[in-house]
Amino acid sequence: MSNVVHPAYEDRVVTAFVGVAVIWAIVGMAAGVYVAAELVWPQLSFSQPWLSFGRLRTVHTNAVVFGFAVCALIGTSFYSVQRTSHVRLFAPKLAWTLFYGWQVLMVLGAISLLKGWTGGKEYAELEWPFDIAITVLWLAYGVVFFGTIARRKMAPIYISNWFYGALIIVIAMLHVVNNLAVPATLGKSYSLYAGAQDAVVQWWYGHNAVGFLLTGGFLGMLYYFLPKQAEQPIWSYRLSIVAFWAFVYSYIWAGPHHLHYNAIPEWVQSLGVVMSLVLLAPSWATMINGVMTVSNAWRKLRTDPALKFIVLALAFYGLATFEGPMMSIRSVNVMSHFTEWTIGHVHSGALGWNALITFGTFYFLVPRLAGRPLASTALANAHFWLALAGTMLYIVSMWAAGLSQSLLWLTLDELGEVQYSFVDVVRSTQPYYLVRLLGGLLFLAGAVLMAVNLRRTFAGTVTVTVHPPDAVPAPAAPASAPDRVPDAASPA
Amino acid sequence: MTMLHLGNALKSPRRAFDAVASHPPSGMRVFFGTGLWLALCPPLFAFVGTTLFGWRLGVDPMFLPVETALAISAAYFVLLIFGLLSSAFVAHWMAATYGADTSYAHSLALMTLVAVPLAVGSIVHLYPNAFFNVIVLVPTLIWSMYLLYRGLPIVLKTDPGRGMLMASALIAYLLVSWVTLLGITAVLWSLGLGPRIAT
Repeated sequence: MSNVVHPAYEDRVVTAFVGVAVIWAIVGMAAGVYVAAELVWPQLSFSQPWLSFGRLRTVHTNAVVFGFAVCALIGTSFYSVQRTSHVRLFAPKLAWTLFYGWQVLMVLGAISLLKGWTGGKEYAELEWPFDIAITVLWLAYGVVFFGTIARRKMAPIYISNWFYGALIIVIAMLHVVNNLAVPATLGKSYSLYAGAQDAVVQWWYGHNAVGFLLTGGFLGMLYYFLPKQAEQPIWSYRLSIVAFWAFVYSYIWAGPHHLHYNAIPEWVQSLGVVMSLVLLAPSWATMINGVMTVSNAWRKLRTDPALKFIVLALAFYGLATFEGPMMSIRSVNVMSHFTEWTIGHVHSGALGWNALITFGTFYFLVPRLAGRPLASTALANAHFWLALAGTMLYIVSMWAAGLSQSLLWLTLDELGEVQYSFVDVVRSTQPYYLVRLLGGLLFLAGAVLMAVNLRRTFAGTVTVTVHPPDAVPAPAAPASAPDRVPDAASPA
Repeated sequence: MTMLHLGNALKSPRRAFDAVASHPPSGMRVFFGTGLWLALCPPLFAFVGTTLFGWRLGVDPMFLPVETALAISAAYFVLLIFGLLSSAFVAHWMAATYGADTSYAHSLALMTLVAVPLAVGSIVHLYPNAFFNVIVLVPTLIWSMYLLYRGLPIVLKTDPGRGMLMASALIAYLLVSWVTLLGITAVLWSLGLGPRIAT
């Protein structure tokens, strides 16, 4: 064994990303709760354009997706790529530039959305100056991440890095292609595509942003942090690789299912349906892999509040990845599309899967970054039940509201006219909005408890310095257990 | 499993679970003695409520022809029976992974006890106001989930930690079953079995 001391991991930037992710979670969820309240009491906009539902909702979605989710993904990918590569982060100054640049971008972007600047495309509302900034910063993310992998001391590239890598490459491609536009002024541009083509490109982007950011990126998080937390190897490493390639291949085709009964060719819609149904196989392969990995870690449940979040996140991942393909079937979609059912579906994934797996990961990660135990297990347990109750109230109320809406909208009178007016249907939906608001409030309250708990865990300390092990090039996989990667299964 | 056990499932779940664990009933007796009748409650209440009061979705009541209401209730019954038997089968299939009792009868007895609050709560179908049903059935659903987490380690004789994991895996299956029920409802309505809608 040599006495060479390798440069310490750059974990301060990880701590910074985790910290801002928690802040963005609270900001984004609070905006969500406010717009949910506006649907119950519309007067809450106080006739202010910047407080109107249309503007504030985009702040909610951008803050939770590009603030909370992206910061969580960048932070956790920087943490795990160093440990699975046994090397310090490549270009740490660039990583810090990415950190500050992304925060400035998010704050200015939120202000621009409140001011009414919008490209009008869902999840791609930010106008062209921000789109250029996102492209530059995303390239910086790619340089840091792939630069670290290029300098790795381990021969294999662990599966979590494949998912994080796919996130970086595919999101760059989607973002650039979908946002090609002709600028008219600083705050307004027009898409390069026209009519139906614009819609197809938008939902190729929109669905794969969900696919590669909110699914693929978080699968990267799952594949690193679940074995660490469970102190078990991945149940089947081979299955994880098969699922990765099947996921990458099939997801990219599924976007047209957002455009059923629209002015795009029917075969394109059918292709979207078929590939959405195919997608169930890799999604559930990953779920089974996760469930079986955690099944041997039951002793840890008594002491580790984080594991509960991961277990529940897997259940909601299973639900959301089944519900999505089902809703892509035309005879289901005719009822679910344009109703609250879709909102319920999105949140069973966003709250039940993305948020819960991130919370579980943060409860594991922050004590390790701080070098001390979590400040309060009781608070984390309270957070778990608030999150579960909030998610259930949210999705059940939206399921019921969605089915009611579709039934009323599709009911015809004796003359073949629509029987119920739009206002009738809105009025009938209002009680469900109140239940949804309650669900959102509970979920937000849980996130605030987490913020307090993590802050107390980190109070008065600094990020622990950890050095890479004295690494030697490893074989692709040990001959005795070809289906396992032992390094990823052992604690850092 | 007797009616006494069913009462215990509501007021003293621990005793009901202990009784099933110590005196395991046969699968046939659980199904024909209890499960079948519990599964009959929601469609029966829904049929009576639909024909008497009409569906109330926050606008004028929607009355369905008796034949349509009967067909929907029959489909509801078949799906509930499938849901009960299949969830017991999934529990039986998972049991070995979690070191639990692998007998199908035990799994069926557990799922039947877990379903008791929902079967009793379905009495609100007698007044088919959708929001009223949601308000009553969501807490009932949470009570049933509690029974699953509480009862699984006792009835299937496994460690509480492993039981918690197995119950969570079953929750995943039940959530998927639930959303499948929504999907099947939408497909049947689109195909014409249900209210008259323009699709």
